[in-house]
Amino acid sequence: MLFRVDPASPRPLGDQIAASVRGAIADGKVTPGERLPSARSLADLLGVNVHTVLRGYQRLRDEGLIELRRGRGAVVVHDTRARGRAELMLKVRELVDQARELGLTEDEVVGLVRRGLA
Amino acid sequence: MIRVRRLTAVAALPFLLALAVDLTLYVLLRDRLPDPLASHFTGNGRSDGTQSRGSTPVFACVLHLGLGALWAGMAAVGDPAVRRLRWLIAAGYATAGFVGYLLAATLLANADATDPARVRLPLWQIAVGAGVAVLAAALGRLLLLAVPTPPPEPSSRPDADRTPRLDLAEGEVAGWMRRAPSRVLLVCGTLLLVAAGALLFAVGPGNAVGVFFGAVVCLVFSCPYVTIDRRGLTARPTALPWPRIGIPLSDVDRAVSRDIKVLAEYGGWGYRVRAGKSGLMLRSGEAIVIRRSDGREFAVTVDDAGTAAALLNTLARRAEARD
Repeated sequence: MLFRVDPASPRPLGDQIAASVRGAIADGKVTPGERLPSARSLADLLGVNVHTVLRGYQRLRDEGLIELRRGRGAVVVHDTRARGRAELMLKVRELVDQARELGLTEDEVVGLVRRGLA
Repeated sequence: MIRVRRLTAVAALPFLLALAVDLTLYVLLRDRLPDPLASHFTGNGRSDGTQSRGSTPVFACVLHLGLGALWAGMAAVGDPAVRRLRWLIAAGYATAGFVGYLLAATLLANADATDPARVRLPLWQIAVGAGVAVLAAALGRLLLLAVPTPPPEPSSRPDADRTPRLDLAEGEVAGWMRRAPSRVLLVCGTLLLVAAGALLFAVGPGNAVGVFFGAVVCLVFSCPYVTIDRRGLTARPTALPWPRIGIPLSDVDRAVSRDIKVLAEYGGWGYRVRAGKSGLMLRSGEAIVIRRSDGREFAVTVDDAGTAAALLNTLARRAEARD
């Protein structure tokens, strides 16, 4: 899978790595149960620190897209809905970016979503 | 499609003919054959092994049909445009002629014999068999003339404007990595491992070492990691940092994604070197094909090769611009 990070971007590198994986899951280029590269080899690939990669992986774990297991590394969750979740996360990302551009506060964004859910 | 089927039929034909000849001869001679009959001979022509008369036609069927299926299979998966495939089919004719003749000669030598131990099949019969093989191969080549050679596929040499690229921002870092699992190598390695275990148990460690080594080599290469980054393309075993195969960015002229038929184009799995090209063949299908700066080709079969080739082109052009 393709990983890309832009050091000139204001977004943290770890988030950018997470975005690469998320995009690949959403596109179906990475399938449920597939193992992601080890943090060390990915850090070597992109020339970044191992901890940066781990931060990205932790973020994906918090989103419920991957599992981190000692000795097994990072594995895309064995769930057919992983792809849907990744696509949803991409839309959330879009929503947040657009809201920031409009100058909305965090509470206002959450309020909008809550109203959408009602 | 029809052409491939005809080629397969041409490849299987000699074995069916040889079987027909051997079986006809058996039926004609049946009442004059001893039971058991001499079936194995030493270098000086004496017989040293026998076979029951009834099992002879079964043996002939299994041998010819087995070989025929092997050659038909090779013809079916091979690329008819490749010259080597035609020689391979001719070699099938030679094999069928040789085996068919020796079986027939054995039957004839046994005719009217009373004691199988006194049956003789002198060594010069092998030479006659070889002569029959040459004639059969010539016949095969003649028959192959009737199967038209398809025009070679349009050269896969990538055009400059067809070279896939990736949109990368200035200063953006990108890398691509993917496992390239090979079912063939995995199965081979597992079978060899089982064989090594059996040998260790049955014979002793001395005989098992070589087989065990083969198993380890197969298994180590059964799932390499293919990486594309600022250094170029690297392939290495997932579990080990070594051995690795690398193509530096400066050596990349152009990269494309193309489907590869492993047997027809590279003749087998694993790391293959052919005239003008080399490659890491894990399975048939999508592959990154690199034209190197010296004009040689390097290929590695891996999924999502299109993205990989695009990234490789982009990184290579960027490295070029920097120098």
